[in-house]
Amino acid sequence: MSATPAAAMPEGEPLLEVRRLDAGFLLIPVLFQVDLDIWPGELVALIGANGAGKSTLLGALTGLVRVTAGQVVFNGRPVTGLRPEQTVAAGLVHVPQGRRLFGTMTVERNLLLGAYRRRDPRIREDLERILAYFPTLQDKLHRDAGTLSGGEQQMVAIGRGLMGRPRLLMIDEPSLGLAPKVVDRVMEVVRAINHDGTAVLLVEQDVVLALEAADRGYVLENGHVVMSGRAGELRHDPAIRKAYLGV
Amino acid sequence: MWGILNIVNLAHGALVIAGGYLTWLLYSRWHVDPFLSLPVDAVALFVIGYALQRGVINRIIRAPLLFTFLLTFGLNLILVSVLLLLFTPDYRSVTTSYSGSRLELGSIAVPYIRVASLAVAILLAAILWLILNRSRTGAAIQAVGADRDAAQLVGIDLRHAYALTFAIGAAFAGVAGGLISTFQAITPTAGDPYTLQAFAVVILGGLGRVSATVAGGLLFGLIEILGQSTPGLGSGYANAIAFAVLVIVLAFRPQGLLGRLA
Repeated sequence: MSATPAAAMPEGEPLLEVRRLDAGFLLIPVLFQVDLDIWPGELVALIGANGAGKSTLLGALTGLVRVTAGQVVFNGRPVTGLRPEQTVAAGLVHVPQGRRLFGTMTVERNLLLGAYRRRDPRIREDLERILAYFPTLQDKLHRDAGTLSGGEQQMVAIGRGLMGRPRLLMIDEPSLGLAPKVVDRVMEVVRAINHDGTAVLLVEQDVVLALEAADRGYVLENGHVVMSGRAGELRHDPAIRKAYLGV
Repeated sequence: MWGILNIVNLAHGALVIAGGYLTWLLYSRWHVDPFLSLPVDAVALFVIGYALQRGVINRIIRAPLLFTFLLTFGLNLILVSVLLLLFTPDYRSVTTSYSGSRLELGSIAVPYIRVASLAVAILLAAILWLILNRSRTGAAIQAVGADRDAAQLVGIDLRHAYALTFAIGAAFAGVAGGLISTFQAITPTAGDPYTLQAFAVVILGGLGRVSATVAGGLLFGLIEILGQSTPGLGSGYANAIAFAVLVIVLAFRPQGLLGRLA
């Protein structure tokens, strides 16, 4: 696969700068020398096959997974190897794969827990904002999150992430297990969130979906970034079409 | 504590007894009414519990269950030894001026102390429910119990949440000990039955809900009393019967009577 020229990068200071990052689990390295940048307001797709290390990369950025080498600068501040409660407070929020809601708690409590680190008085206001993105949740606020449909749970998961007032929202596989119509609805809101000013890192196995929504994309293979560039270019790249679209 | 931390605390009984000794100490030295010393028990055991979890137990929180058994078993030995050094193995009891008074209800006479203990127990259950369901800390504790990775991803500091959980458990154990010292003589090694009972009550009721644990406690107590008063069976069988019921319940409802499957 070809590397893309640096000309594809936007101007100014990046919001997130990942440099030569190695990360993994005890005795099992997963990521090798990963470089990745995200500028404020961007929607960036991270694509790759199952087991390529996409979720591990998100975990390494938030502090769930151990970083063994390299560095991460977020919003001008080094955040390499910080614990999750510190990265969340810095505005780096990760919506994990499989929603991971607190199933026996109400939807409202799940959403409010997203604001756990915050002490400001605008938490209620943000809750209203999330209900504006996902109006179907309005009359389900007092139901246990575990009783919702998969699509609704994904909405709560994204909403819970937003309640942390992220500067960068990293969403892992939001389309997983959802009906196409529901996927469209979720992606529409992801775009809206991005349009309203939050940078988004979207991890997706559905390559078409991800590259259609994103400004730029990175391709991860066996723990290495093998390709990056503008989403439109990646979508038409023969190697990607062959590897991920079966064309 | 078990549902959230996923550890079985074999030192629970020792914490109960420590609370009992604190009440006894305050009463015998400064004539502090045992019911007034309960908040002191709670605060002291909270601090001890927080320190134990943060300093010691947190280190093995992700280790297999056997390690938590070994560690809390060791903690239990240490706590009992410290209590032996401080208070000697002599039996101690808190006997107040009202210890012998009873509430007469027709043909039944109930010691006032037991009535007051019941009131305190109800109050404690209510406080615990409020902490867990109405406070930010309680939400964090439950979130950690439900999904520790997701809890971390909303910014909950696991080490602190674990320590708070254990501290709250220890505080409640301490208050229980303070209550027990008013109607039963205590000695440093008297804690083990309470560990066993706490374990049984929580399992019987089902993990994860205060109401379930309260129900488990009531049922377990009732079975014990019935076992004791059944003609032909001595009080020695009370525990055996209660635990037999526990085994039978678990055979049919592994999640406990009111528990939810994770």
